Amino acid sequence: MTPLIDVVFQLLIFFLFTLKIIEPEGDFNINMPLGRPAEAAVTDAELPPLKVRLEADPGTGDLRNLRFGDRDLGGGPEAFRALNQEINRIVLALQNVGPADADNGAEAQEVELDPDFGLDYKYVISAISACSGRVTAEGTTVPLLSRIKFAQIREEEQPHVTD
Amino acid sequence: MIDIVFQLIAFFMVITNFEQNQADERVRLPKDQLARPPEVKRDNSFTLNLGFLRDSQTGQITDPDPYLFFGPDRVNIRDCATRLRQEAQFYEALDVDLAEVTVEIRSDGDVSTGLVQELIQKCQEARASQQSTEGFQRFALRATQKTD
Repeated sequence: MTPLIDVVFQLLIFFLFTLKIIEPEGDFNINMPLGRPAEAAVTDAELPPLKVRLEADPGTGDLRNLRFGDRDLGGGPEAFRALNQEINRIVLALQNVGPADADNGAEAQEVELDPDFGLDYKYVISAISACSGRVTAEGTTVPLLSRIKFAQIREEEQPHVTD
Repeated sequence: MIDIVFQLIAFFMVITNFEQNQADERVRLPKDQLARPPEVKRDNSFTLNLGFLRDSQTGQITDPDPYLFFGPDRVNIRDCATRLRQEAQFYEALDVDLAEVTVEIRSDGDVSTGLVQELIQKCQEARASQQSTEGFQRFALRATQKTD
């Protein structure tokens, strides 16, 4: 009995030391086939991608303005909420196009993210999240658009030098 | 007494996660409530950790340039083509189509997006050999699951 409890304690100590509290991680899938993502030809069967432009504050990398199509949605967390509502509205409209096209319209719809080079990456994740799903009041997730891609990389902003 | 100890061992065995060994603790992932772990484990995937060198006590960034962390090594994004080619060659040796391989990008939330885009572009351009025609195409951007 005594050797058994020794081994058991050793095991217990091992697990105590190897225990690492890790926050659960998830991910967002992005499908980006070869080469030039922004120049992919749009066929008649496909809708043109929804354009989400993310403008950065050059000094800090924070989000200065989020533009969806030709509408400015601002720069704070409310911008992502507004984007989420806009995407939700479009997905609902696409699903109501016709019974034959039931989910197909929303499934085929692409979103193109066009961020400034210096924008902090966390804002891009927020934008992808706003496009990809919606959390209801009950806490369930409603998927929205899954085809998300990046536009061409923008030029890195150079700091302005004044004489 | 031994019953309780056994219970404790069982508890620790269940919650210990040995699978996340590709995660690098220096990377501070962005948080998002929609970031959910994939329902089906991916067959072919590898992880790229992109983050900053930080002060271990305060967490302050000590070097403004982000690096790709490969265990103890760190590589600048602009010099990572060789590493990506090695990954491509690994999957080619296993006879796996690169279009089926998912590149999991664990990037720090404070990294410039343009650099993440450059990394994705380098993955797309990675070739196992000169005869190869395509690089990696599938990407998964990782984030910490936010619960509130």
